[in-house]
Amino acid sequence: MISGRQLAVVAARVAVAASVVFGALYFVKALSDLDGRARANSELSFGDREIAGGNAILVSQDDAYDARSLIPPGATYRVRAGSLLRNAKPLTSTYVESWYRYFLMPRRPASNARWIICYGCDASGLGPSFENLWHDDNGVSIGRLR
Amino acid sequence: MTMRAILGLVGLNGWLLAVGACLLWGLRGFSSWVDIGRLCGLAYMVGVAAMGTLWTWQLVVGIDLTLAAVFVGGFVLAAVGIALGVAFHRALPPRGGLRFRAPSVTNAVGAALTVVFFEALFRSGRLAGLYEFDAWSFWVPKAKAIYYFGGLDHQFFSELPGQSYPPVVPALEAAAFRLMGGADVVTLHLQFWFLLLGFVAALVGLLSARVRPLLLWPSLLLVLVTPHVVGYALRPEGDFLLDELFALACVLMALWLVDREPWQLIAATLLGAGAILTKREGYVIVACLFVAAFVAGTRDARFVWPRIALAGVAALAAAVPWRVLLAVRGLSGGGPEAGGTGLFANFDRFWPSLRLALGTVFDFNIWLVVVPVFLIALLAAFACHDRELPVFAAVLFVLCVAALTWSTWAFPSLPITKEAALNPIVRFSGALVLAAAALVPLLVTRTGEAARR
Repeated sequence: MISGRQLAVVAARVAVAASVVFGALYFVKALSDLDGRARANSELSFGDREIAGGNAILVSQDDAYDARSLIPPGATYRVRAGSLLRNAKPLTSTYVESWYRYFLMPRRPASNARWIICYGCDASGLGPSFENLWHDDNGVSIGRLR
Repeated sequence: MTMRAILGLVGLNGWLLAVGACLLWGLRGFSSWVDIGRLCGLAYMVGVAAMGTLWTWQLVVGIDLTLAAVFVGGFVLAAVGIALGVAFHRALPPRGGLRFRAPSVTNAVGAALTVVFFEALFRSGRLAGLYEFDAWSFWVPKAKAIYYFGGLDHQFFSELPGQSYPPVVPALEAAAFRLMGGADVVTLHLQFWFLLLGFVAALVGLLSARVRPLLLWPSLLLVLVTPHVVGYALRPEGDFLLDELFALACVLMALWLVDREPWQLIAATLLGAGAILTKREGYVIVACLFVAAFVAGTRDARFVWPRIALAGVAALAAAVPWRVLLAVRGLSGGGPEAGGTGLFANFDRFWPSLRLALGTVFDFNIWLVVVPVFLIALLAAFACHDRELPVFAAVLFVLCVAALTWSTWAFPSLPITKEAALNPIVRFSGALVLAAAALVPLLVTRTGEAARR
């Protein structure tokens, strides 16, 4: 007759054995997964790595880099998304503004900012004072109100 | 992405370790050099929790988190630790008493496997991009705001999502940026490598003195290789730091229930406060921790209850300045969407939420067999008529499952799903699972001891 205490010891051993078996099996898998991720990360270009999540949102990495080089760090800016964008991705219109907020810091978003990132918006609607400093074939332009 | 950035992180984390070591010496003393080596992981995590709490308070009162503030704040905390140590005549390791014993084979194998794991994890995070939505949506922008503008910038801390999330992780990331020399969001992933390493070292340090290596390493390695830890531990978000601080606080509380050493309860309180200030879920799970300890201490209520109550109030009080700031600025407090009585209005969500909670912690593809192993160890401990530790672990498990259930039930906008983009339950479950893995060696050891009696 097995007592409760003997049964408990057996159960404790089962717990340890399960940890050893699954730990060993998945240790190998974990190393393989981590190795694969390290390799994939090292194969990324500098831009792919820096833009990272933005690659699923932006139509081109150039937009982000040009916005960062054109808009001074202490300036404010606004993102105007519109329907004239070509090659848009499913996440573009929803997240382009918040992604730029992350990427362009310490530049501040402001609704009345002179700097405008026109992401498929109608640039003519920005008025004659809009100075278009950069644009691409996808309908993205970056400029400022004079 | 440079060596300078990595060295900056080494410097920051070395500083956190030094500050934590002073505090831990003030709390308990170090009897030998081996004692220091064994507890350096805990010292580091205590340093993270204490500095994180201090940074939160200083940001709330308007002191910018500059490089000088990082070091001056550390000096202040270290001085508090040293003053406590002197006042209470804490032990110092003897001079020239540095002697190492050869580790056992099990310890050597366990440590070697852990080193191999962390080497692979380091390489995976070394050049990782910032893909995680929550990370680029608000965790890292908040850190950047602190880094660029010094404090809790009014515009960014009100416009960014997660207004009510306390600022320990953004402050830690901002401090990392300071030491790295720039807002390097790629190398930032390695800060979370240091945190996981500190957590593991702390667990090994706390448990190795009282459980056999064969009981310690399997449980530890099992949780490290779970798909969730492998996939998410280095994300620059608050979830894993919350889990790590909470799990360590649980272990310290369990040890306190057995040993009644005051430093264990104080350290648990400090880590609990750090958890509360890491993520708003911290309020709920730290409450679960203190209630579980309260129930487990029923047999010796006159001794346990006042101390637990005091510790719980102290941990909660750490968040008061942050809550005052939220109120003053008119920001969201982060309460449940359903409101006070909304749980009854949404009662139809109770059962699906409970099933989701249980389905998450038992999901093999997320947590392997960590929770089943914990439950077997728990039942075995109960069968041996051991009381305080299994009661604590059991109540903690039940309350944490209830908290997980509540996290979906009380937020009607969250769908009943484990999909990380739609419901944070998988990330939230990490607190319980890490704590469960950490308690298994203690439960199994108590079972063995009780069976021999």
